[in-house]
Amino acid sequence: MLEIKDLNLIYEDNYHVLKDINFKVEDGEIVGIIGLSGAGKTSLLRTLNLLQVPTSGKILLDGVDLTSLDKEELRKIRKKISIVFQHFNLLSSRTVFQNVALPLEIEDLSKKEIEEKVNKMLESMNLIPRKDAYPSQLSGGEKQRTAIARALISNPDIILFDEPTSSLDPKTTQKILDLILEINQSTRKSILIVTHEMDVIKKICDKVVYLKNGYVNFVGPVHEFFIEKETELNNEFYQEINIDWSKTWEMVRNKNQKLLKIVFWGSKTHEPVLYDVAKKYDVSVNILYGKIEHLKDSPYGTMIIAINSDNSHVENFLKELSENVYKVEVLN
Amino acid sequence: MVQDLIFATLETLYMTLVSALFAILLGIPLGIALYMLSKSEKKSSKTFYSVLDWVVNIFRSIPFIILIILIIPLTRLLTGTIIGSTAAIVPLSIAAIPFMARLAENSFNNLSQGLWDTAVSMGMTNWQFISKVLLPETASEMIANITLLIINLITYTAIAGAVGAGGLGAMAINYGYQRFRMDVLIYDVIILVLLTQVIQFAGTKIANSLRK
Repeated sequence: MLEIKDLNLIYEDNYHVLKDINFKVEDGEIVGIIGLSGAGKTSLLRTLNLLQVPTSGKILLDGVDLTSLDKEELRKIRKKISIVFQHFNLLSSRTVFQNVALPLEIEDLSKKEIEEKVNKMLESMNLIPRKDAYPSQLSGGEKQRTAIARALISNPDIILFDEPTSSLDPKTTQKILDLILEINQSTRKSILIVTHEMDVIKKICDKVVYLKNGYVNFVGPVHEFFIEKETELNNEFYQEINIDWSKTWEMVRNKNQKLLKIVFWGSKTHEPVLYDVAKKYDVSVNILYGKIEHLKDSPYGTMIIAINSDNSHVENFLKELSENVYKVEVLN
Repeated sequence: MVQDLIFATLETLYMTLVSALFAILLGIPLGIALYMLSKSEKKSSKTFYSVLDWVVNIFRSIPFIILIILIIPLTRLLTGTIIGSTAAIVPLSIAAIPFMARLAENSFNNLSQGLWDTAVSMGMTNWQFISKVLLPETASEMIANITLLIINLITYTAIAGAVGAGGLGAMAINYGYQRFRMDVLIYDVIILVLLTQVIQFAGTKIANSLRK
């Protein structure tokens, strides 16, 4: 388990990059750190293995505080934390095979042992046909797979990914995300991903750390993040709900309707909850917007509907609907 | 005269290559030391770096012909004489070592910060970093540096020739300048141009073959 306690980073010019950061990465968990550029994501990642020494605070890996270690102890414990860098950082003078072998070479393993382990790793990463190629001859996806193989070969406790998909096309991105998920499921290794892409969070993360101006603005499960922080995400990242609000409001006012936002999460997302409840109370429902997305472990949906507010069963309708979905919000 | 030219060429090559060898053997480690010290976060390293940096700058700033004169006692101590090509190797090497160190340091500095980060996060020791990352990753550039060094040294041997070092430079001065033998001067220059071309050609070839 990796635990970050009261971490602060202040640069020499007094620029306060990271402010009182606290969060945990449990064993086997995939945690995503998301934030806009300049939020301090990469600085945070670099402090986790002390590439950047924090000004104050603790970084505990299975209870051992990295900031208290001497140089030699730190060098050893760093082998338990692998980093897959944004720009891969492969050695241009080494082939794919030799790059993946590097962490084992520094362990002074025998040639035979290295060959066995590396070949096995390359096999699982589908890199055997490219094993003698140099980095300059590889595609983005191949470079990323080589970098991941190199990170995995030393059998670390936790793997840190810095923007793993930012330089890849959508199809390769999907493949790499699947690969990260697969690694997490087959090895139960903890994974920490720094990203600015919501899709990465949605598809593979269990937990989100939302970094804003150097602070942790939110820590928690992914679905809660999208529900709690929706307005903020709309403003800062992208339009999560794509609807023409001014026209909608005009219509609702003219017809004297109530505008509702319904959030679904979990197994009920796939059940006709709205239809059942509406039918029961004879409420006519006008659907204005709806979408369902698949988070890592369960579906998550948002719906905007308008109902006539003169119906006498409205209160009961709202009450029963609230009990059956994640959240109902009356917008007017 | 042909014999003299051949002998002078061999002398030039002897001075150039031996001092280049010293420069490579001592200058590259000095460059590594400069680079590693600049990367270290220890306070003592920073001080040590400044001192080394300063020493290198001093030797780089003394004009070669003055350096030759300045270190005459050292030259005599090491070679027993101050005349001839073997004696010239001392000032040539002393000029070339800091030059090579600076060239090497520059190449190392061009290495991306990312590779340093990667090595540190892998838990490499300094020696592992030097032998597995720093030197192999800069090999091609280092060959280009060595080529530059050798060609510079050829020019320097000519300057050394003016003060009794022998070689093509001395021949150009003794025959071409003092005895008005234009033909010797021209042959002399042709040989120097050819030497430079061949060395540059070979250096570029090797450097390219190392670039992956």
